[in-house]
Order: sequence, then C-alpha cells, then structure tokens
Amino acid sequence: KLNVGVDTVQHGVEGLAYLLTESSKLMISETDFQDSIHVLGFSDELNKLLLQLYLDNRKEIRSILGELTPKLPSYHNLEWRLDVQLASRSLRQQIKPAVTIKLHLNQHEDQTAQVLQTDPSTLLHLIQQLEQALGEMKTNHCRRIVRNMK
Amino acid sequence: DPRCFPRRPYAALLRAAFHSLLHHPHAGNSFILDDPDLKDIDPMVLKHCHAAAATCILEAGKQKADISAISACLEDCKLDKERIEQFCTEYQKNKDALEILLGSIGRSPLHITDVSWRLEYQIKSNQLHKTYQPSYFVTLNVENSDSGSHPDVSFSCTMEQLQDLVGKLKDAAKSLERATQM
Repeated sequence: KLNVGVDTVQHGVEGLAYLLTESSKLMISETDFQDSIHVLGFSDELNKLLLQLYLDNRKEIRSILGELTPKLPSYHNLEWRLDVQLASRSLRQQIKPAVTIKLHLNQHEDQTAQVLQTDPSTLLHLIQQLEQALGEMKTNHCRRIVRNMK
Repeated sequence: DPRCFPRRPYAALLRAAFHSLLHHPHAGNSFILDDPDLKDIDPMVLKHCHAAAATCILEAGKQKADISAISACLEDCKLDKERIEQFCTEYQKNKDALEILLGSIGRSPLHITDVSWRLEYQIKSNQLHKTYQPSYFVTLNVENSDSGSHPDVSFSCTMEQLQDLVGKLKDAAKSLERATQM
C-alpha cells in the first residue's frame, strides 16, 4: 500500500522507534524535541505529527522502559491471619497468640508467596519501624534533596 | 530406693535432672558426674534414676500438672513424703523455665524477628532518565525454629506500597487488640 521497499519501511519503523524511545528516556521538553527533528528537514505538518506522537506515547514508553531496569523482588500484597496456639506435642494447655502473614512478591514476572509468622510484640515493633521509614520522606533533609534534584 | 540414694544425693540428683533439661538440652551429662554428692552412687543406678527423674519432669511439664497431681503420681511410685516434697519444691522453682522450653519445641513457619529498611531516591537508570522517585528496600529478618538462621526476606517497594503494607499490619494489630479484650 505504501509502494516502497520492505527495507525502507523497516528503516522507517526503526528510526521512529529510536526517536521515540530516546526522547522518552531523556524526557526532553517539547521545544527540545521540535529543535531536534527540525534538522531532519521534514514538513511542518509532519513535525507537528511527530511531536504529538511523542507526547501521546511518552508516558507508556517510559513505564515500559522502567521495567528494564535491574529489579529486586518487589512487594505485591500482604495477607494476614491471627492464630492462637492451644497445644502442641510437647506442651498442652497453651495460649500462644501469633500473626501469620502471607507475603506476595513479584520477581521477574513470577509471583511468589511466602508464609511467615510473628508474635504480637514483634508486630508492633515492625509497624513502628516502618512508620518511621514512611515519615522519612517528609523530613527537611529529604525534602531539600527532592527539591534540588528536580 | 532410700538405701541406694541417701537424702543429699537425692537432692543433688533432682537439681542435676532439672539443670540438664533446662540449661543444656543437647550437652552431655557431665553435670551429674561433677556433683560431689553423687560420686558414691553406682553409675548404672545413677543413670536410671536420672532418666526416670527427667521423664517424670517432662511429662509433668507437658501436661501442665499441678502439685497435687504430681504428688499423687509419686505416691503411686512409692516415694516417701519427704522425697515427694523435695521433688515438688524443685519442680515449682523450675516450672516456668520448663514451660518455656517445652513451648518452644515444634515446627512453625519462618518467624520474623526484626525489620530493616532503606530509603532511596532514584534519579536515573541506563534505560530511563529523570525518574525522580523515592523507593524503599525492606528486609525482614527471619529465624527458622529448627536451624535458627535463614536468608532474610527482602523486597523493594514504592511509598504507596509501603503504606499499603503498614496499613495491613496495623489492621492485624487492631484485630489482635480486640481479640485480647474479649
């Protein structure tokens, strides 16, 4: 339908792909993008089209590129359950509360689920520690860094 | 048999039995042999009596027996009143430690003992520049009831995910609080 050779089409596609991924990766501004493609000598209409294509797809391309970075197992979900142990083979008449946790993690497209357990006091300790972690982003130190990095 | 086991060695035997159960469950029986009160007793008799005492102690602990039940049982074994009393006193002293020991035996899922976290601010990667996102790396220290150590469970998460995690843990804690008030 385009009436050009296969090679030309392929090069065209590759060129476009490269243009879009590099632009998205670097998150260049509109003006920078326009300046860059201006050198290619296309018509104004084509340039506008390319710019629109870039802006429309930038977010999605970036999220796909984000998947390519080195990854550690990441959090997916957490389920919990309260148990009370009443007896065991070695001791009868117990009252031993425990919290059983199923931690769902993602790694390389596989989902793993791990069953863990903790006692009430450790649970409270975990909560306290992690709340402290969350609070860190709001401290002056972190805020300053975030401001200066942008 | 009171003839083989005078009073002082009997007391020493009880102490040794409790000690070997509670303090060194895997070690040898050197403590029994070290006690000077026991050196006159025939080793074979000593061994049997120690095993018998230990079994009695463990069984009483397992069933959470009270003093009257233990006394009744020892009476059936034809121990005299004084010796029963000695046993019960020694048992009372060590009861709590015994309970803790017995309660800790058994299988359970990996037990979380502690948590460490790391906050990072991502700037760029070779695939993607200007990411500018905070990221947490959390490590849960876990212990295995059998072998005692196990590789820790680590994962990364965004701030929202960590909030989700903490929210769920807080739900569990609240639920626990309600349950203890019932």
